[in-house]
Amino acid sequence: MLQPSRTKFRKAFKGRIHGRATSGNELAFGQFGLKTVEPDRITARQIEAARRAITRHMKRAGRVWVNIFPDVPISKKPTEVRMGKGKGQPEYWAARVKPGRILFEVDGVDEATAREAMRLAAGKLPVRTRFIARIV
Amino acid sequence: MSNVKEMKATARPKAGKGAARATRRSGRVPGVIYGEKLTPLTISLDMAEITHRIYAGHFLTTVYDLDVDGQKTRVIPRAFQLDPVKDRPIHVDFQRLGQGTTVRVHIPVKFVNHDGAPGLKRGGTLNIVRHTVEFWCPAEKIPESITADLGGMDIGNSLHISKIPLPDGIRPVIRDRDFTVATVVSSSGYIEEQLLAKQKAEADAAAAAAATAATAAAPAEGAVPAEGAVPAEGAAPAAAPKADAKK
Repeated sequence: MLQPSRTKFRKAFKGRIHGRATSGNELAFGQFGLKTVEPDRITARQIEAARRAITRHMKRAGRVWVNIFPDVPISKKPTEVRMGKGKGQPEYWAARVKPGRILFEVDGVDEATAREAMRLAAGKLPVRTRFIARIV
Repeated sequence: MSNVKEMKATARPKAGKGAARATRRSGRVPGVIYGEKLTPLTISLDMAEITHRIYAGHFLTTVYDLDVDGQKTRVIPRAFQLDPVKDRPIHVDFQRLGQGTTVRVHIPVKFVNHDGAPGLKRGGTLNIVRHTVEFWCPAEKIPESITADLGGMDIGNSLHISKIPLPDGIRPVIRDRDFTVATVVSSSGYIEEQLLAKQKAEADAAAAAAATAATAAAPAEGAVPAEGAVPAEGAAPAAAPKADAKK
């Protein structure tokens, strides 16, 4: 799973996801892509599950790019622990995405295969997405 | 070669984001015409028509005769902005074209002869470095695309701009180097398989080394191992979890 190799701070504020993606909202590498239309956190596990769904459907052909990186540590309190006594320990990593952000890109396969691969990937994600193709 | 198409537009009196938003609210797309050292002209276009033209392809390499309230202007679209979520056009830029103008345009690259590339037959994939290449072209001779032949390309090979035949009268904007247009690389799935195989081989080698060390150490403990003795007592459990881990 993806996670930063080292971080400046161990824990992060919860934050809110406002606005739309002003960068990373156009296809940079591939012919087809998957774009989110909702803001949310996407965990490293979800990214990995989606990536696997794409590569397995494409059966070794083509290329896949993951355009997001889970760089936000999400902390969690242990079960049956009373409130207070400080913030919990980091449990997993997540990427914050804004509407319009391209999540995955693929190339080297036909549109039908790419569309199906992206549909399978979208099923692993907590956001509504759209399939997009490069405008020539 | 580009043939001139017609499109209708309406002049809009006000510039600025407030006026542009009002135009969008009324179901039209704001735009601007500039160039030829004349005053920029703010216009608006029909949403359905411009959307259709953008998504039809070759929008930025087609010359238009833009009919602005009856006055025709020869233009080339220079840029279009899309809404990041809805993918609707939100603004279009046009540049005026005078007689004999040379323009910089991004021409799409069309890749042909995939069957003639041994690298693609062996499971490699085409990595397009540049989907479009920027050229200086005479406005009346803008090609729809340039054709790149993939014949003979193996995994690890690159296709440079010097290998692509170009139509007469156009020249690349980047001229100081022979830049790469595409490469043939291993597919993502193949790379992943290779990585897994490498990890498995390393785990196997480590397990084998541990087992060898254990068997070598066993006779040293007792010169004559007694029947029923367990010489590799420590070694066997150590090797077993590694064997599990590699799976």
